[in-house]
Amino acid sequence: MRWFRFAALVLLVAVLQASALANLNIKPDLLLILLVFFAIYCNTSDAIISSFTIGFAADIIIVGSAMGPQIISFGLFGTALAYLRRVIVIRKMPYQSLAIFITALLAGLLTHFLNLLKGEPAVPNIYAVLFWTSLFSGLVGPFLFLPSAWWMRIKINRFSRR
Amino acid sequence: MRDASCVLREAKYDIRNTIYAMRNTIMARKQTRAWISKHNKPRLGSLSRRMLFTLYMLAALIFFIAPENWTKEFQFTFRRVFSWPLSIGRNIQLAAPAQPSLKDALNRREIQYQNYIANLEQQLRIKHREVEKLSNLRNRFPLQGAKLMRAQATASIDGLHSMLTISRGKDDGLDKDQFVLADNSIIGTISDVSSRTAWVKLFTDPTSTIGVKIEQLDVDRTMKGNSNNSAKVQLFPIKYKVKVGDRVFARTKPGFLDAPIIIGKVTQCKRDDEEPSLWDITVEPVCDIENLNDVTVIVMNP
Repeated sequence: MRWFRFAALVLLVAVLQASALANLNIKPDLLLILLVFFAIYCNTSDAIISSFTIGFAADIIIVGSAMGPQIISFGLFGTALAYLRRVIVIRKMPYQSLAIFITALLAGLLTHFLNLLKGEPAVPNIYAVLFWTSLFSGLVGPFLFLPSAWWMRIKINRFSRR
Repeated sequence: MRDASCVLREAKYDIRNTIYAMRNTIMARKQTRAWISKHNKPRLGSLSRRMLFTLYMLAALIFFIAPENWTKEFQFTFRRVFSWPLSIGRNIQLAAPAQPSLKDALNRREIQYQNYIANLEQQLRIKHREVEKLSNLRNRFPLQGAKLMRAQATASIDGLHSMLTISRGKDDGLDKDQFVLADNSIIGTISDVSSRTAWVKLFTDPTSTIGVKIEQLDVDRTMKGNSNNSAKVQLFPIKYKVKVGDRVFARTKPGFLDAPIIIGKVTQCKRDDEEPSLWDITVEPVCDIENLNDVTVIVMNP
């Protein structure tokens, strides 16, 4: 794993998420897409580290929010996905979309419940927002895997028959 | 007899050799397995995967239970360090929609004047009352002596929180709880301040509570943010007549605001589902907060 490239990529995506996408009503969760990318294409140890790091980035980009819920949910589901990947190969784009969609839903739900546990106010229509964000992330995500893989120098072998 | 003993001895040798060979094979297999497991075991330094996960989860839990005053420093540091790329990112986002037309500019100007007139009307009403009382107290014009500090603003509105980062801080005399104006209307208060930057909590933020008064009605109430670019006026009895379009003013607060200033307009007014004796009043800002470029901070005692 090229950690310097990883740090640069996470910072870039965090800045994009906190600025260019901040005021959109429905937006893809770029950090979550990265989480799924690293869980699918890295070894399990690297996936664990990257999941928690991306969770930390997701927490610090929102000023005023409680820190911790996203680190926990991203870390937990990133690790689970990395272990799952050892059993099920997630290589085709539809499967990747599905993986992003499900991970986004589960991570979002856990974040929401942890926020409630901490006494944070809930977003109105949270479940609708969560659904659309997950769907949008699932649709956009696999297309962002290619540039991410190029930047991280990871061979994704999407079209191989393995 | 000798042949028989020779055969027996040879058989013994054969058996012993076979046992040795088997033992060697087993030993070699064990060594190979150990080597494979040693090299395949996922380790980072000397940490196994489980230990790695446990340590990270522990760190995450510490963040989760730590007081927000400590953890928010990470968020503020991120905003400070990456303020330049963040502003570029926002400009990209702002540049995407069409450029504001002359009509939009005129509309905005009109909103500013309407807010200004609303503020003057409310101030005039209060002055009338004061004159009627003929008090001998020292009087002065609203915001007289207050310093109005202009600052550049960048919005950070997501589903949960509504904040603004502004380009002024403690060095410019800013402090917590000071009111912030945009287009002659109150948009929020300062929630945190560092030496050169401050963070404005918009009144639509769910953690924001602000004292308000609905025009014509002499009832002081608090208004709580509702996160969806709106806020709710709390505990307003239905005996008072409130209608959509009524203007809502921020209440005076000694040391921070000495005249009521418009904060929003009633956009929805219905009976509260849980408490039918109360109104459920939704208030929305009277300026376009998402496209704000600059704001004014009221520093009452410069």
